[in-house]
Amino acid sequence: MGEAIVVYLFLAIRVLVVGGFLLILPRITRKGLLFGFYVGEERAEAEEARRVLNDWYRGCKTLMVVTMVVGVAVGATGAAFGMAHSAVVGNFTGTAVLLLGALVLYVRVYSRARLLVPTGVARQAETAIAPLEAGRTNAERFAMVALAVCLLTALATGAYAMVRYEAMPDRVPSYLSAFGAADGFEDKSILAVMSLPSLNLVLSPFYALLALLTATAKRSMRAGSGGRSIEAQDAFRAAVANLVSGMALLICALLTLLSVQTIRFGFSETNSLGAGIWWIVGVLLVFVSGSLIMILKRYGQGGALIEQGSTDAPLTGGLADDTHWRGGLFYIDRDDPSIMVEKRFGIGYTFNYGNPTAVLITSAVSVLLVSVAVIGFIGIVH
Amino acid sequence: MMLTITIDRGLESPVYEQVADQVRQLVASGALDPGTALPSVRRLAGDLGVNLNTVARAYRVLEGEGFLVIRDRAGVTVAAPAREVNPSSRAELLDQMRVTLARLRQAGMATDELIQIMHGEVLALGGQRKENSHG
Repeated sequence: MGEAIVVYLFLAIRVLVVGGFLLILPRITRKGLLFGFYVGEERAEAEEARRVLNDWYRGCKTLMVVTMVVGVAVGATGAAFGMAHSAVVGNFTGTAVLLLGALVLYVRVYSRARLLVPTGVARQAETAIAPLEAGRTNAERFAMVALAVCLLTALATGAYAMVRYEAMPDRVPSYLSAFGAADGFEDKSILAVMSLPSLNLVLSPFYALLALLTATAKRSMRAGSGGRSIEAQDAFRAAVANLVSGMALLICALLTLLSVQTIRFGFSETNSLGAGIWWIVGVLLVFVSGSLIMILKRYGQGGALIEQGSTDAPLTGGLADDTHWRGGLFYIDRDDPSIMVEKRFGIGYTFNYGNPTAVLITSAVSVLLVSVAVIGFIGIVH
Repeated sequence: MMLTITIDRGLESPVYEQVADQVRQLVASGALDPGTALPSVRRLAGDLGVNLNTVARAYRVLEGEGFLVIRDRAGVTVAAPAREVNPSSRAELLDQMRVTLARLRQAGMATDELIQIMHGEVLALGGQRKENSHG
């Protein structure tokens, strides 16, 4: 029962964070964009656009309620039938409802926003502006340090696991409860022992790499903003890159501690994961949510809130170009050498899937993460 | 104030020429001092959303004209004006100027007007260089 309450609490936090985030997204989007389309600065504030926005707000509120109800109902039904970890199943089901519901809502408003695109705005995409500045930014340097720290720490953790492998007992922990107790054991194998260190080697350097790519991501200026548009985007880009660098370091710390404690568990050197892990989880949650709130409140997507008062000039470049966006979420331009570009809908940056490097990074990380997840799942099942 | 480059794909002139023209103008007017570092090919091409070769071509043209210095490690920097005029460059540039003057004349511009424009342009360049050299 105690574990179920913690799991449902996490689901409630997720619903509030994701739902709240979806509700404020249209308010912090770059002016002129409407659910993945560049409709122009004037049309984005017209009556028809407001109707589409109100539809979105109503849908988001309903979705939040439905997610919680479904999550708890599935968990409670599972518990009534004696299903193991039923709260976790309820949590996953609720999360799936939340994500699928958000997707359905988005597709609905996206198809309505498409009808508001006037033919004249295509001309904006033909113009692009770039600042003539060189040199590395502090956010770029921080991301490089984070990448080096994550790689070295993950490699050291892997080496620690390998060194202790031979002496480990025949049965090792395969499942740890929310309170840090070993609920399941499996036969000792390289896969079982190395799954967490491997996850660390993939996940934390990936986030650090993401931070580095974010720090140098493409910017989309407004013409005639007197440099305000560039300043706004630079400040936003640095804040997002720093957030992702910090996340990389905290995830690295968490997975390193989890890896080491799991191995110590196997040796019976400890009977709990220790308070350190919960401290890191707490710091990670506070850091991510605090940074996101700060970014949303101070900058808005791409520095939208800063540039809003300074200029009404139209957007230029990639963000104004509907031809390279698929569904308003995926950017594909083979001629654009940018690896990451600002999102049209959402917060932060996305990959340019027309760039081979971006495709390689996303494919490699997806394959590695799926492999680690499959290995972990096999461990739980056995 | 931050300097920017603007391209317009709707114009007839190729994008690399638009980039080269604007950098050339900024260097000639003294807005970009000698030694100033410019963004890498990848960064400028990324922000403009154009192919790497487009920016690389613009930089190579400007390097050939003596406006930029491209080094692997130091990157791209604005070149200092040459101390002496290279005789072959001088002849080539004078030829280009003659062609431009002839075209302006043919386009209907009066001699007085031509002299006035040339005088103004030279003074503008000279003034900037003098200010820069005396820091």
